[in-house]
Amino acid sequence: MLDQLVPVMILFVVTVVFAGGLIFLTAIVGQKAKKSEVKLMPYECGLPGQESGSTKIPVKFYLTAISFILFDLEVVFLYPWTLVFAENVQALGGPLLISMGFFMGILIYGLIYEWRVGGLEWD
Amino acid sequence: MSLIDITFYILALTTFFAGVAVIAIPNPVYSALCLAITMIGVAGLFFTLEAYFIAGVQLIVYAGAVVIMFVMVLMLFDLKHEKKAFSKGLFSMILKIGSSAVVLASIFSAIYLTISAKPRLEEVNTDAIVAAKGLALQLFTKNVFAFEVIGILLLVVLVGAIALAKGKGGTHA
Amino acid sequence: MGSDLVEVSINTIKMLAIFLMMIQAVPMLVWVERRGSAFIQRRFGPNRVGPLGLFQLLADAVKFIFKENFVPKNAVKFLYLAAPVLALIPAALTFTAIPLSTPVEVASFELFGQSWGPYVFQFRGFEMNIGIIYILGVGSLGVYGLLIAGWASGNKYSLLGAIRASAQMISYELALGLSIVGILMIYGTFDLVELIGSQTGHLQFSFSGKEYHVGFLPNWGIFFQPLGALLFLVSAFAESNRLPFDLPEAEAELVAGFHTEYGGFKMLVFFMGEYGHMMVASALFAIFYLGGYHIPFVSVDSVKEFFLSTEMFGTSTLASLMTALVFHLSLLFKVIFLLWVFVWVRWTLPRFKYDRLMSLGWKTMLPWALVNTIVTALFIYYSKVSG
Repeated sequence: MLDQLVPVMILFVVTVVFAGGLIFLTAIVGQKAKKSEVKLMPYECGLPGQESGSTKIPVKFYLTAISFILFDLEVVFLYPWTLVFAENVQALGGPLLISMGFFMGILIYGLIYEWRVGGLEWD
Repeated sequence: MSLIDITFYILALTTFFAGVAVIAIPNPVYSALCLAITMIGVAGLFFTLEAYFIAGVQLIVYAGAVVIMFVMVLMLFDLKHEKKAFSKGLFSMILKIGSSAVVLASIFSAIYLTISAKPRLEEVNTDAIVAAKGLALQLFTKNVFAFEVIGILLLVVLVGAIALAKGKGGTHA
Repeated sequence: MGSDLVEVSINTIKMLAIFLMMIQAVPMLVWVERRGSAFIQRRFGPNRVGPLGLFQLLADAVKFIFKENFVPKNAVKFLYLAAPVLALIPAALTFTAIPLSTPVEVASFELFGQSWGPYVFQFRGFEMNIGIIYILGVGSLGVYGLLIAGWASGNKYSLLGAIRASAQMISYELALGLSIVGILMIYGTFDLVELIGSQTGHLQFSFSGKEYHVGFLPNWGIFFQPLGALLFLVSAFAESNRLPFDLPEAEAELVAGFHTEYGGFKMLVFFMGEYGHMMVASALFAIFYLGGYHIPFVSVDSVKEFFLSTEMFGTSTLASLMTALVFHLSLLFKVIFLLWVFVWVRWTLPRFKYDRLMSLGWKTMLPWALVNTIVTALFIYYSKVSG
C-alpha cells in the first residue's frame, strides 16, 4: 500500500516545488515589471476590452459535461467487467454478456435519444 | 508514529479542511475547487484502505468528471446575485446551521454505529487486480439487478438534462 | 518504497531521475517540433545556436527566466500562478507510473561491511498495480489546470478558451477510455507490465478451438485491435490539445486561448505539461498496441544470455542492467516515432471547426468505440465458447 501511495505524494510535492520554484525564481531574477495601467489590462489584441456585465456562454457546454459524466460512468463499469469477462467466458460468458449488454443497450439508447433530439448539435 | 499513520493523517487532514472550506468559503468557484481537493483526498484515503480500484474510480468519476462539471458551470455563470442571496440574511443562516446539524448528526451516528458494530473478520485479498476481479464478479452476477437499475437511472438523468437544456428559460439556448 | 536503506534510496533517486528525464525531454521535443516543422515547410528553422540549433531551447529558457514577471490587473493572483503547476502535475504523476523497461535484478553485494540484497528494481518511477486505472484517473485531472488558468486570468478570451478546452478534453476522454476497453478485454488485466508481457513472441490466437500462428508478425495488440488503436491515437491528439484539435488556442478566434495572459516561465511550464501529456500518450500507445518495451522476435532471456556471455558485462547484475537498457531503447524508439507522428500531423492537417470537432467526438468516435467494444466482446465469446 505504502509502496504505491508514498511515491505519488512525494512526487506531487517534488513537482510543486520544481515548477513553483521556477516560477518564483523568475519573479526574483527577472526584470522588474514597470507597472502601467495599459500593460495590466486584459490582452484582447490591442483593443481596450469592453466589460459589459456577465459573459453569456451557451448552455451546451453544461449538457456536454453532464453527458460526459453519464457515459464516463458507463466506461467505469466496463473496466471491471473486462477483467472478469475474458477469464470466466466459458463458465459465465452468457450471463456476463447479457448483463453488460442490457446496461450498454440502455445507455446507447440514451445516446441515440440525445442525438435525435439534437442534443449533440453545435451551431 | 509510523509512516502509514503519517500518510493517513496528512490525507485525512487535507480532506477534512478542504471539506470545511467547501462550505465556509463564500466564493462558489473556490468552494468547487476545494471540493475537488476533498475528492482527491478521499481517493487517497481509499488507497490507504487498499481499495485501489475504488480509489481510481473516485478519481475518474468524482474528481475527473463531476467536480469538473461543477467548476465549469460555476465559472460559466458569474454568480454574483446568488452569492449575495446565499451569504446574507437570517433565513440562509438558519438553513446553513440546520443543514450542518443534520449532516453532523448523521456523521456522528455513522461513526458511533461503526465503532459499536462487531468487526466481521474476513479474508481480504490485497492484490489490487484480484480484489477488483472479486468486486466485478459480485457486481455482475449477484447484484446484477442493482447494476441494471443504475443504467436506467443514468438514462433518466440524461433525459432530464436534455429536457432542461433544451427547455425555454435557460440562460442562453 | 523498499525494505532497507539501499532499496529506499535507489528507488527515490530513480523516481526523481525519471521525473527529470521527462522534464529534460521537453526542450528536445520542442527542438524536434521546430526543426520538423521547418523541414516540412522547407524552411531552416532555428539553426544558429549550437550545432543544428540544438541549444536554441537552452537560450530560450535563459530568456524565459529573465523575462519580466507580472500578473494582470483582473487576474486572481494565487490561482493565476498556481495554474501552470496544476497543469504539470498530472503529466508528471502519470509518466512516472509507466513501466519503461524490464526490471533490473541486483545480486547481493558487500558494502560498509554488511551484505545487501538481492534486489529487484522496476524500471519505472514507482509501482502501481492498477496501472491503467491510476493513469486514467490522474490524467483526467489535467482539465483543472486549463480551467483555472482561463478563469483566473480575468480575460474573456482566456475563459472561452478554457471552457472550449475542457469541453473538448472531456468529450475525447470518453472515446479514449472506451477505445482501450477492447484491449483490456483481450488481456484481462490493468497491470501495464502484464499487458506488455502478453505481447511477446509472434502473432498467435485461437479461434473456435483452433490455434493460428502467423510467424512473420509480432504478437502486438494493434493486430487484434486496429480500430481501437486508431481511436486511441486520435483521442490522444485531442487530449493533448494538439493540432488538428488545438481549438482551445485558435489564434484567429481566441488570441491564444487559456494561456493568453501567460508569459515567460509560466508559459514554459504549460508547455512542459503539454509535452508531458504527449509523452504519456505515446508511451501508452506503445504499451497497448506496439508491444511496449519488447523487441519483436527477441526474448528478454536471449538478450540477457548474450550479455552474460560477453566479458565486459559478465556478472548477472550488469547483464540485467544492460538488458534493461536495451529494452528501454526499444521503447524509446517506439515513443520517439509516435512523437514524430504528433509533430508530423500537426504540420500537415488544418484545424477543425468547433462544431465539427465536437461532432467528431460524439457522433463518430464514441459510436465507433462502442462498436469496437461490442464486436470484441462478441468475438471473444464466440471464439471461446463455440470451441
